[in-house]
Amino acid sequence: MMEEKLMKLKQELEEKLESATKEADVLNIKSLYVGKKSEISGILASLKDMSIEDKKKYGSLINNTKKEMETLVAERLEALENKSNITFDDTVDFDVETGSMHPVTILTKEITDSLKRMGFTVVLGPEMESEYYNFEALNVPKDHPARDMQDTYFLDNGMLLRTQTSDNQIHAMENYGAPLRICAPGRVFRNEDLDANHENTFYQIEGMVIDKGVTIENLLYVMQNLLKEVFHEDVRVRLRPGFFPFTEPSYEMDMSCLICGGKGCPTCKNSGWIEMVGSGMVHPNVLRAGGIDPDEYTGFAFGFGLTRLAMMKYKINDIRVLNSGDIRYLREFNID
Amino acid sequence: MLISCNKLKSHIKNPEDIDWLNIWDTFTLRTAEVEGVEVKGNSFDNVVVAEIMECIPHPDSDHMHVLKVDCGDGEPIQVVCGAPNVRVGLKTAYVKVGGHIGGLEIKARPLRGILSNGMCCSGRELGISDNHEGILDLPTDWINGTDIKEYLPIEDIVVEIDNKSLTNRPDLWGHYGIAREICAITNHELLPLDILEIANDSEDLDIVIKDDNLCYRYTGLKIENIKNNKTPMDMQIFLYYVGMRSISLLVDLTNYLMMELGEPMHAFDARVVKNIEVGLARDGDTYTTLDGEERKLTSDMLMIKNGDKYFGIAGVMGGLDSEILSDTTSVFLESACFNAASIRRTAASLGLRTEASARYEKSLDPNMTDLAIKRLAYLLKLENPDMHIASNLTDVYPRVLKESTITLDKKTLSLYMGRTLEDDMVVNILEKLGFKVNVERDYYDITVPTFRATKDIKIKEDIIEEIARIYGLENFTPVPLKLDLTITEHETIYNQEYEAKNLLATKFDMNEVHSYIWYDTNLLKELNIEKKNVRILGKESNNILRDDLSLSLMNIVSLNFKNYSKFSIFEIGTIIENNQNKRVLSLILTDNEKCLEEAYNKAKNIVKYLFKVLKHKEVTFTSNINEQSYYDESLGKIINVDNTKIGTLNVLNKTCTNKLGKKKCIVTVDIDFDKYVLLEKEPILAKEISKYPEVELDYTIITNNRKYDYIKEVLSSFPSKLIKNYRLVEVYENKYLIRYTLGSSNKTLEQKDLQTFQERFIKHIKDHNLMIVE
Repeated sequence: MMEEKLMKLKQELEEKLESATKEADVLNIKSLYVGKKSEISGILASLKDMSIEDKKKYGSLINNTKKEMETLVAERLEALENKSNITFDDTVDFDVETGSMHPVTILTKEITDSLKRMGFTVVLGPEMESEYYNFEALNVPKDHPARDMQDTYFLDNGMLLRTQTSDNQIHAMENYGAPLRICAPGRVFRNEDLDANHENTFYQIEGMVIDKGVTIENLLYVMQNLLKEVFHEDVRVRLRPGFFPFTEPSYEMDMSCLICGGKGCPTCKNSGWIEMVGSGMVHPNVLRAGGIDPDEYTGFAFGFGLTRLAMMKYKINDIRVLNSGDIRYLREFNID
Repeated sequence: MLISCNKLKSHIKNPEDIDWLNIWDTFTLRTAEVEGVEVKGNSFDNVVVAEIMECIPHPDSDHMHVLKVDCGDGEPIQVVCGAPNVRVGLKTAYVKVGGHIGGLEIKARPLRGILSNGMCCSGRELGISDNHEGILDLPTDWINGTDIKEYLPIEDIVVEIDNKSLTNRPDLWGHYGIAREICAITNHELLPLDILEIANDSEDLDIVIKDDNLCYRYTGLKIENIKNNKTPMDMQIFLYYVGMRSISLLVDLTNYLMMELGEPMHAFDARVVKNIEVGLARDGDTYTTLDGEERKLTSDMLMIKNGDKYFGIAGVMGGLDSEILSDTTSVFLESACFNAASIRRTAASLGLRTEASARYEKSLDPNMTDLAIKRLAYLLKLENPDMHIASNLTDVYPRVLKESTITLDKKTLSLYMGRTLEDDMVVNILEKLGFKVNVERDYYDITVPTFRATKDIKIKEDIIEEIARIYGLENFTPVPLKLDLTITEHETIYNQEYEAKNLLATKFDMNEVHSYIWYDTNLLKELNIEKKNVRILGKESNNILRDDLSLSLMNIVSLNFKNYSKFSIFEIGTIIENNQNKRVLSLILTDNEKCLEEAYNKAKNIVKYLFKVLKHKEVTFTSNINEQSYYDESLGKIINVDNTKIGTLNVLNKTCTNKLGKKKCIVTVDIDFDKYVLLEKEPILAKEISKYPEVELDYTIITNNRKYDYIKEVLSSFPSKLIKNYRLVEVYENKYLIRYTLGSSNKTLEQKDLQTFQERFIKHIKDHNLMIVE
C-alpha cells in the first residue's frame, strides 16, 4: 500500500512538473509536493508513530522518495532557468568591415620572415639614390645600356631614382662589413610605359650573403626554401647562365611553373620553368667597392621582383592595380 | 636569333652523334635561353623534280596552262598550272597525286574542266622562300623523279635563341660560335672554316681611319670579274630559315657571313668607291640610308666616307649610291670593327637598330674581320671560278688586340664550385670553348681567345663561370648556410613600418595604398597648387617629386570617392624634402562634410593610439599656422611627442576638397617616420596598486566661449592630493563631461573628504569663468 502511494505521489509530481513552464508554477508545485505541508512531509512525520517493523520497512523508502522528488523539482527549476527566452533574431549576420594591407606588404612580410629564420637582417635603402650606389659601385660601366635615359629616371639634382635594390649591397657592406647576411625589400623605378604587365614603379627584394667559403649551392638552398614557403608548394629551382655586371659567375634562377607543375603550359611558354631570380657570386669589384677583400671573402647576391611574385601568388592579372590605390581591389588583402 | 641545325652540322665533326632535337634543353642550361625549336620540311611529301615536256594554254582560262610533265615515272602526266613562268624544259617541284603539301592531300581533280594530276609548286608553297611569283626554277641537271629533299636542305631544325641572353656573348651572334658551344657541351670537334688565302701581290686600297677609338679595324678587298650573281638554292633556303631575304649572291654572301661568323660585312659596287675614310659626321648634316629615309646626323656619329661624300653610317646601315646593282661585276668588300658604345648610341638616337648594329653593340672581336673576307672570297669563288682578286687584302688595324692570359688558382676554383674538379675535365672544357690551358701544380694559366676577351672574360671568376656552366649547373645541390649565432643587426626600420601598418589596418580598418613618388601634375594644376621640388629630367608631366605625401595621395582620394562616400587610407612612403629622402606615414580620413568633427577627432585618436601602443608615448597637438595654402587655415595642428614636432594634422581646404568630391571633408596626418623610428620606447614600469578603494566622480563643465584647451589648463591647475587621474569622457555641444578618479594611499576616502574636494573643485572652476553642473 505504502509503496503504491509513494509511487503515485512521485508520478503526480512528474506530470505536474512537466506541464509547468514558468518558474512560479514550479515553486507552487514545489511547496505543494515537497514543502512542509506536503503529503510526503506528512507521511515522513507519521513515521515516528509507526511500528518498529514498519519503520524498518518504510523508513528509507519514504526518505529516498522525498529526496528523489526534491531532485525532480530542482532539475526542473534549473532547466527552466537555462532555457533562454530569445527576444532577438539570432540569425542576423552582418558583414565584417576590415582594413587591409597592400599585397606587396603582406608578401614582403612573409618573405622576410622566412629569410630572418635563415639569419638574414632586413634593411631598407633610399629611393632617391646617387649614380655611384646605383651603378658605379655595382660594376655597371659608363656605357652600359642600363644607364641610358630611356631606362633610368635621372633627376635635376644629379641624383636618380634607383633602378634596382642592389644599391643596398654597397650600403650594407659599408655599414656592417663582412661577414654579412642581409635582405632589402624596396621600391625601384624604370622609365617604362604602363600596361597590364609593365609599371614604372615596382618592388624588388635584394639578398646578399658574404662570408668565408660561401658558394652558389648556399644560394640554391636559400631560394628553394624561400619559394617553398611563399607558395606552400614543393617548388623546384634550377640555375642557368646569366649576365649581370655585379655578379660573376652570374646565374638566372628559374622556378618550376606553378600553373602546370612543370609539365609545360602557355604561362611558362611550354618550358615548365619560370624565370624568377637574378643571382650570382658577388663580383670582386663590388666587394672591393664595399671595402671587402675578395681574396678573403666570397658572397652571393640575388634579386627578384616582389611585385611580380605578388601577382603570381595572388593571381593579379593587371599590374596597374597595385599602385592605383583603388580600395575595391586592395580591401581583399585583409590577411595578416 | 634563329639558328639552323643543318648549318651547325656543317661545322662539327661527326654531327650525327648529336640528338639535334633535344640538345636545346641542355643548351638552355649551359649557354643561353632557347625560346623555340621548329622542325622544318615536314609539311610536305612526295614532291619530286619534274620537267615540263609540253605546255599549252588552258582553253577556258586566261592564265592557266595545261602541262605534260615528266616526273620520272615514264609516261608524262597532265597537270594544270596557273604560274606565269611555265615553259617547256623548265624543271620544277611537283607534288604527286596522294602526296601532301601544307598538311593537305593532293588529289587528281578537274580545273575548269581539265583533269590535273598533282601540282607544281612555288618556293612559298614549300616553305623555303617567300617567293610566290612562279613555280620553282630548278637546275637543269637534276634528275626527274628525284625527291626534292635529296637535292635541297629543306629538312632542318630551326632554333630560336633569346637575344637578351646573348648580350654578353658577341661570339654567339653567328652559327660558328653556337657550333663551338655545342662542341663543348657534347664533347665534339669543331671543324675549321674553308677560306681563300689572298696573295697580297697587288696594290693596297686607299683606306684611312680618322678615329681609332671608334673604329678599331677596317679590312677591305676588291674583287673583279664576278659574272654569276645568283645565290645557290641551299644558301637561299638557309638564309630564309634564319630570317633573311635572298637578294643577290653578293648581298646574300655578306648576310651569310654575318649569320655564320657574326661579322657584319658590306659589299659596295667597286665602280663608285674612290677612297674610304672612317670618321665622325658633321653636326646637322643629313644622309639618306638604304631604306630611303633621310637621317639627321650629329657630330658623335661615326660615318664611312667615300671621296668627300658620306657612304654609310658605320656599323648601322649603308646608303643607296653604293648598292649592288644587276650589272655589278666588281665589288669592294668591307669588314670592319667599331666601338660598341658608339654604335649603340648612334643606332639608338637614329631609332635604327639593324642586324649589323645589334652585333656591333655587343663588342665584336676585331680579329675576325680578315677571316670573314677570306671566307666570303672562298664562297664567292665557288660560284665564280674566274673571279679576279684586284687588290691586296688591305688591313688598317692600328692597335692589334692580342690574346690575354688569366691565372686561375685551383683553390679558388674549388671554393666557387663547392667541389674539386680533375685537371683533365677543366682543360677539356676550356679547350673546347677555344681557350688554351697550361696546367701547373696549383693553378692554370689560361689564354683567352680574343672572341671572348672583348666582353665577358676578364677575370678568373669569368673563367669559373665557363667551367661551371659546361660542367652543368644542375649538378649543384642546395646546401644550407652554416651560420654562427652572432646576433644580426636589428632591423628597426622595417619592423616599425610593418608594426604601424598592421595596427592601422587591423585596429582602425584603414586600407594601405601605394602611390607614385612624383606628383600627378594634372591634379596639381586642377587644384591650382604650385610645387617646387626635385624634377625628373626629360619628362613633361608627373615630373615633380613629392614633398607632401598626403597631397600626393589626393588622386587616390579622388578615385575612391567614385565608389565610397567615406574611407580611410594610409601609406608609408618616401618624399623628397630639401634634396633628402624622408620616410613619412600619411593617414587620410574622408567623410561627408558634416562629419568633419568626427573624422577630425578620429584622426587625432588614431595618432594618439599609435604612439601610445607602439611607443608608450603621449602625443600633444598644438596649433599650427599653415604654410601650405591648400590646407585649412585654422584647423591645422602640429603633432608633438616629448615636446618636439613629429608631424602635422590638417584638413584640406574647401576649394581643393570640392574639386575631389562634392560635400566631403578630407583630414590628413603626416608623421615624420624617420623621427618616429628613432624615438625610444618609453620604458614600462609596474605601478603600485592602492590598497584602498578609489572613487570616480563625474563633472559636467559648461563654457560658452572657451575651448577644451582652456578647460584642460584650468583642470591641470587645480591642486589636490586625492586626484589619481582625470579624463574627458564626452563632449556634447558646449558641455564637457570630465571623470575624476580619486583615492588615497593611506586610507579609505570618507564622505567628508569627497565633500571638501567637490566644494573646492566647483569654486576653482567658477573662479575661472566656467560653469559646472552641480
